[in-house]
Amino acid sequence: MEALHETLLMDAIVNPEKIPHNVSHAFLVCIILILVALVIRKSIRLVPKGTQNFVEVITEAILNLVEENIGHHWGKTLFPFICTIFMFILVGNCMGLIPGFTAPTANINTNAAMAVPVFLATHYYGIRVNGIKYINHFLGPVRSIFALPLMILMFVVEFVGHLARPLTLTVRLFGNMIAKHILLLVLAILAPWIIPTSILALGVLVSVVQAFVFTLLATLYLAGAVEEAH
Amino acid sequence: MKKTVVAISLTLILLWVLAPLCFAAEAEAAAKGSNVFYYAMAALAAGIGVGIGALGCGIGQGVATSKACEGIARNPGASGKITTSLIIGLAMVESLTIYALVVALIILFVNPFGKLLQ
Repeated sequence: MEALHETLLMDAIVNPEKIPHNVSHAFLVCIILILVALVIRKSIRLVPKGTQNFVEVITEAILNLVEENIGHHWGKTLFPFICTIFMFILVGNCMGLIPGFTAPTANINTNAAMAVPVFLATHYYGIRVNGIKYINHFLGPVRSIFALPLMILMFVVEFVGHLARPLTLTVRLFGNMIAKHILLLVLAILAPWIIPTSILALGVLVSVVQAFVFTLLATLYLAGAVEEAH
Repeated sequence: MKKTVVAISLTLILLWVLAPLCFAAEAEAAAKGSNVFYYAMAALAAGIGVGIGALGCGIGQGVATSKACEGIARNPGASGKITTSLIIGLAMVESLTIYALVVALIILFVNPFGKLLQ
């Protein structure tokens, strides 16, 4: 892996020794998202056209997902967090498809920086909505003093399951991006020009689907945490 | 009865084929005094690990796709929802193979026992 070294366009602006590639490209993703938002804001219309239409399609799809799973009460509060994650991962993944740029999500640090706040947010909102009753989520279906061993066992199992969530979120996105990257590199050495292009087409599908899967899982975890015991 | 005999004989043959590989690599490492043995074992582990991971993923995703096709054939109107559920399910199963790949990458490139061997 040491012999395969890529030169990227960012190397001209930012020194890769001081600021690693994933950080500088993550900043680039943020700048792109903010610029698109500002451009749309200047000429906003009631009946959308062009870029505004595209962004509204994405926003409405994620809004439907969030409201369907979390409900009306907390959906609107949690929606900005989830939609930002989706847009960041989508633009970040697609940036890796362009030669001369690298995907910020192909580095495990960026993904952990997104998965750990989701984990912390589930517990924060769980305690804020349910109070001390949040511990009922961990104790399993049977609630009686005679089932205390079962409740303790369920608590341990649920604890481990909850700890596995940020880990799997991180590794799923990281593994998909790095597998696509390594496959492209190896095939470019072995059989250039035509076969890597097919892998690039598969890479587009994987980029979009993995962004959606991360967002969907974050929504489901948050929905499980804030569900009211009606 | 016949299946048991076949299974046992296959296991023994696999053992006889793979044993000289282990001893050869270890002898070579002892002769050179380096950690060639680690890299030999690492290559073997990475190949077999990702292979077995891909095996499980193939079976799981094949079953999922077949059930999705069946569902669409029964009710073509629901094909949008079925396709969405299918894509999400496939991404979930695929991530298990990706975990196997990440472990293989760690073994090959991060060399977790490097400090101990040197």
